Amino acid sequence: MQATLTIKLARVAIVIAIFALWEVLSRTGLVNSRLLPPASDTLATLADLLQRASVQNDLMVTASEVLAAFALAVPFGALIGFLLAENRYFADVAKPLLFFAFSIPKSIFLPMFILVFGVGFAQKVGFGFFSTIFIVIMSTTTAVESVKVEHLTVARSYGATRAQTAFRVYLPSMLPVLLEALRISMIFNLTGVILAEMYASRDGIGHQIATWGENFQMKQLLAGVVMVAAIAMTFNELIRWVETRCSHWRT
Amino acid sequence: MQPLANVTPLKPPPRAGAIEVRNVGQVFRTRSQDVVALEDVSLDIKPGRFVVLVGPSGCGKSTLLMMMAGLRAQTSGTITINGAPIPQPDPDRVGVVFQEPSLFPWLTAEDNVEFPLALRGVAKAERRDKAQDMLKLVGLDGFGRRHPHELSGGMKQRVSIARGLVQDPPVLLMDEPFAALDEQTRMTMGDELLRIWATTGKTVVFVTHSLTEAVYLADEVIVMSPRPGRIVDHLQVPLPRPRTYEMLSGDAFGALRDRIWRHIRKSA
Repeated sequence: MQATLTIKLARVAIVIAIFALWEVLSRTGLVNSRLLPPASDTLATLADLLQRASVQNDLMVTASEVLAAFALAVPFGALIGFLLAENRYFADVAKPLLFFAFSIPKSIFLPMFILVFGVGFAQKVGFGFFSTIFIVIMSTTTAVESVKVEHLTVARSYGATRAQTAFRVYLPSMLPVLLEALRISMIFNLTGVILAEMYASRDGIGHQIATWGENFQMKQLLAGVVMVAAIAMTFNELIRWVETRCSHWRT
Repeated sequence: MQPLANVTPLKPPPRAGAIEVRNVGQVFRTRSQDVVALEDVSLDIKPGRFVVLVGPSGCGKSTLLMMMAGLRAQTSGTITINGAPIPQPDPDRVGVVFQEPSLFPWLTAEDNVEFPLALRGVAKAERRDKAQDMLKLVGLDGFGRRHPHELSGGMKQRVSIARGLVQDPPVLLMDEPFAALDEQTRMTMGDELLRIWATTGKTVVFVTHSLTEAVYLADEVIVMSPRPGRIVDHLQVPLPRPRTYEMLSGDAFGALRDRIWRHIRKSA
């Protein structure tokens, strides 16, 4: 996706306009400023919060939970997805079941995670893992299926070994789909962890946001929203950047 | 008519590029029945010849080609290339050119051509030199850095041919390589292929649906019929080389094409 300068400027303009509207609505009293504190105040609060040791600690806790859940869900899911794609019988049996499982809202299982793991790191990582693994499995299956038979035949006709076929045909064929899968998985993963934190937790940024909401601390709440949004978008853009570099040949 | 070679008491060692197909059959077993894809196909292809396999869909011409490439096993009979069987692909003896989508889209044209060499661990500099030579041979000098999506259909098939030739095998097998191209490009590519063939002296076995393409390119045309696939005619094409566009409208050309057409119409 290539954007010209004017398109980029228009995007920036829209973001600024949203913040400006937010500011105006609040300052003029069109919206109760206790419900919607001005954008400038919120951003000032955000800067202030980021200085605090407790908030920094919460961010670290959330980040470590997200990374742990991600690091578990991606290889596990990828392995299962790969086996599913390569084994006809296994695929025929398990695929519909996975789709059923995927369609269930994961949040209804949250109480069970708390009962099993207690309130803490394992509960949140477990729930993050659970929220993520289905999408990883399904995306990996798609990625393996995106490998063209013609390309495998070419490799075979030039005497490629199994390892060469894996690294020179499977991997590059799958990479664009895999990166996309990674990006979407992270969205599910972050959602899962934050949800678990908001539901029952002693620390983490999700827990903080829930507490601020309950205490009607709107400035802090909105600052937290901006914070999490920024983190999510940064990660998303990072993978998208790698994606465009790796899949320039995809047109 | 058999040439004098048969008179010699000892069998001469097969020259590089000779293909022998002896009583080859192929049966696909499905749950309900056995489908005979090829039945008792025998064929001798001499080194350096340009042989075209033609026939309607389902006559097993591509199957036969894939067997010559070692990509598929026959149910019965033997196939030898350079006098030895080919139970699995052997890039030293056989290069294969497939239909259009076979280039790796993530590699540049030169990396695609180098691919067979890279598999064997040939050093980068040597690989690059050979790829450059091959790209020059197929008329793509200066296009090495492009990716397949930046090349036209004809150019992509030139890259495929370069890839098929990069290890200098005596035999080049081509499975409907120009089927996806438009008519003009197809004609141009035919001429290009004949030029490359004349330069390299390879044995070429070429599969096509097009009768005109078959007669235009070939020294010999093998006509096959479907279900079960077998050889129904083996024509010599006596037209002089180089072949020209004017020959297409000549009587000799028309007579050959009609003869093939009659076989195909019978079996369709």
